Amino acid sequence: MYEQIIDFLSLSDPNVRTVVLGSILLTSSSAIIGAFTFLRKKALVGDAVAHSVLPGICLAFMIGGAKDPLILIPGAFLAGWLSMILIDKITLHSRIKEDTAIGMVLSVTFGLGILMLTFIQHSGNANQSGLDHFLFGKAAAMLGSDVIIFSAIALLMVLTVSFLFKEFALVCFDREYASSMGLPVKRLDFLMTSLTVLAVVIGIQAVGVVLMAAMLITPAAAARFWTDNLKLMIIMAAVIGAVSGFTGALVSYLYPSMPTGPWIVVVASVFAFISFFFAPKKGILQYMIKQRRIRLMINEENIIKAGYHIGEDRKDFTSSMTATDLIRRRPMPESKLKGHLAKLTRQGYFRKHSQGWELTNAGYKKGSRLVRIHRLWELYLTEYLNIASDHVHEDAETIEHFITPELEKQLEQTLNYPSEDPHQSKIPYE
Amino acid sequence: MIKEAKNPVLEIHDLTVTYHKKPVLWDIDLTIPAGSLTGIIGPNGAGKSTLIKTIMGLIKPSSGYSKIFDKPLDEVRKRVSYVPQRGSVDWDFPASVFDVVLMGRYSDAGMFKRIRKADRELAMDALQKVGMEKFSKRQISELSGGQQQRVFLARALAQHADLYFMDEPFAGVDAATENAIIDLLHEMTGKGKTVVVVHHDLQSAIKYFEWILLLNTRLVASGPVTEVFTSELLQKTYGGKLTLLTEIGNLLQREGLPARETK
Ligand SMILES: Nc1ncnc2c1ncn2[C@@H]1O[C@H](COP(=O)(O)OP(=O)(O)OP(=O)(O)O)[C@@H](O)[C@H]1O
Ligand SMILES: [Mg+2]
Repeated sequence: MYEQIIDFLSLSDPNVRTVVLGSILLTSSSAIIGAFTFLRKKALVGDAVAHSVLPGICLAFMIGGAKDPLILIPGAFLAGWLSMILIDKITLHSRIKEDTAIGMVLSVTFGLGILMLTFIQHSGNANQSGLDHFLFGKAAAMLGSDVIIFSAIALLMVLTVSFLFKEFALVCFDREYASSMGLPVKRLDFLMTSLTVLAVVIGIQAVGVVLMAAMLITPAAAARFWTDNLKLMIIMAAVIGAVSGFTGALVSYLYPSMPTGPWIVVVASVFAFISFFFAPKKGILQYMIKQRRIRLMINEENIIKAGYHIGEDRKDFTSSMTATDLIRRRPMPESKLKGHLAKLTRQGYFRKHSQGWELTNAGYKKGSRLVRIHRLWELYLTEYLNIASDHVHEDAETIEHFITPELEKQLEQTLNYPSEDPHQSKIPYE
Repeated sequence: MIKEAKNPVLEIHDLTVTYHKKPVLWDIDLTIPAGSLTGIIGPNGAGKSTLIKTIMGLIKPSSGYSKIFDKPLDEVRKRVSYVPQRGSVDWDFPASVFDVVLMGRYSDAGMFKRIRKADRELAMDALQKVGMEKFSKRQISELSGGQQQRVFLARALAQHADLYFMDEPFAGVDAATENAIIDLLHEMTGKGKTVVVVHHDLQSAIKYFEWILLLNTRLVASGPVTEVFTSELLQKTYGGKLTLLTEIGNLLQREGLPARETK
């Protein structure tokens, strides 16, 4: 097993090279085209097209009598296009909505495809073996001659995209504006759709009709998490596609009886999951970390504020306070409080001594600022927004942690440095 | 009350537009004077957006035609620019503010051609004009509604057209920005450009526009603001006095009849 992997990775076997090159080209070019499908929100249409390609392949085989890509590709392409037109016509001329039309076309054409496939398999035609690989894909079944044809098509697709990149992007973003500028939107649409169908048609060799839509959409969806730049997004999608295709080829080499499509799609999905959780900015994890940091900051600032309040009560900000004093002000489990206090002491806001803690000068300043903002905000709410004074405390409890120094200045100026808040507490200015 | 403009940049003749057989614009005949700031005013569903889209060739009319600079649209596309309603696109699209404004240069740059440095500079100028140069790198989903509106405006400015159609450029824009945009539009008309704006607020319309179209499925009035803003005409536009027309429209739709005899 280990040796086999090394063998594969060394790419010394020309057969392996063919399959690897073919797989990578197919999956990465479908990922590039799929990015536009994704941006046009046509994922479902892509799925329907992929499924409807099957009867096209079967019919082409029945007529041509051989598993030659030069026969099968046109058949698949026509079938894909027909299904697309069918969806459009149904939506346009009946009361059926697009999603229903897609579902109908998908299931009917796929059913038809399976029927024809079964028929061919029982017809006793010796050439038919391997036709069922189009269901779930089989990278290893690619021949050198297939790869040449597929590569040519993939190259053509990528070149088209790079030449018409800005036009495609504009049509995806704002069709009507593109049209108002005189761009041939209909023809560009036709081209993008044809590319999608082509991507599906050549991709099914490695991925299969059932999972092909996932190959179009997943890499782009994953890449979207990492960047807001369209070019970068497409490059990332292509790389994700390539890695998925490479893994598919490896699996196909190690386990010749296993279909490659599911593997390729699983690898692409792993990328999508990783992106969903770990992407900087848009990922869930980043969001959770940020939320946690905010909660922590609020807790710590509240403890400093409690210390300040105690000082205010005792009219002595240097007096020492115990954990119990602080908990009375700001209820929380003692162990948690001590944890926070240890950190705040390290940061120089508190000083620890035998009877307890006392606020340092930095702690005093921070506490006074929080209390000042709290009271200013309460005053602002009652005076400017006419909110009753018994309703403003909760709001100020949150806002006090988020007001920037600039906003604080503005508040002070707007209110003209008031001395008391609505509850007649003194507003401290350092 | 439909007044002929002396020096029209836009002429519309006998224009009728239908959606699924239901007429939404009926027999529109109008002219708009060159160098004017023109307002299109009417209630929701009056067909204001439809009128603009039809002029821009985005919707095919069932009858009638329009001429811009005395020519069919296709011959003068480069001199005309369109600002769609802000809600018509997905702002989560992976693009920066600058990317979007640069789109205004695509028609000049041409298909297959690369964007040149001059195009970038023109796009940046346009951004500056709407006061958004600081946001040029910002992802477009991270803009407020008013900022998105200004980006659309900048994109149109980057086209350097002579005639602009703007669909509700003041929707969701605060008063200060609205004033800044109006100043900009006046500056443009001062240089001989013509700007046609769909607008909702009657109060400010009197101050902003020189020429006004009152629209409610049919054209109620077209002319200088002082002559058009009469309570009678406004009543006609907003007062729901079009019941007969609406009913005929509904009948045509129900029976699947064409609004015009097809030849
Ligand atoms: N794509 C469409 N299909 C069917 N009917 C439409 C379509 N677009 C608009 N309509 C109808 O045409 C009429 C005019 O619409 P339009 O958008 O031009 O109005 P508007 O004056 O711009 O309104 P608003 O002030 O709400 O923007 C409305 O009754 C609307 O329901
Ligand atoms: Mg509108």
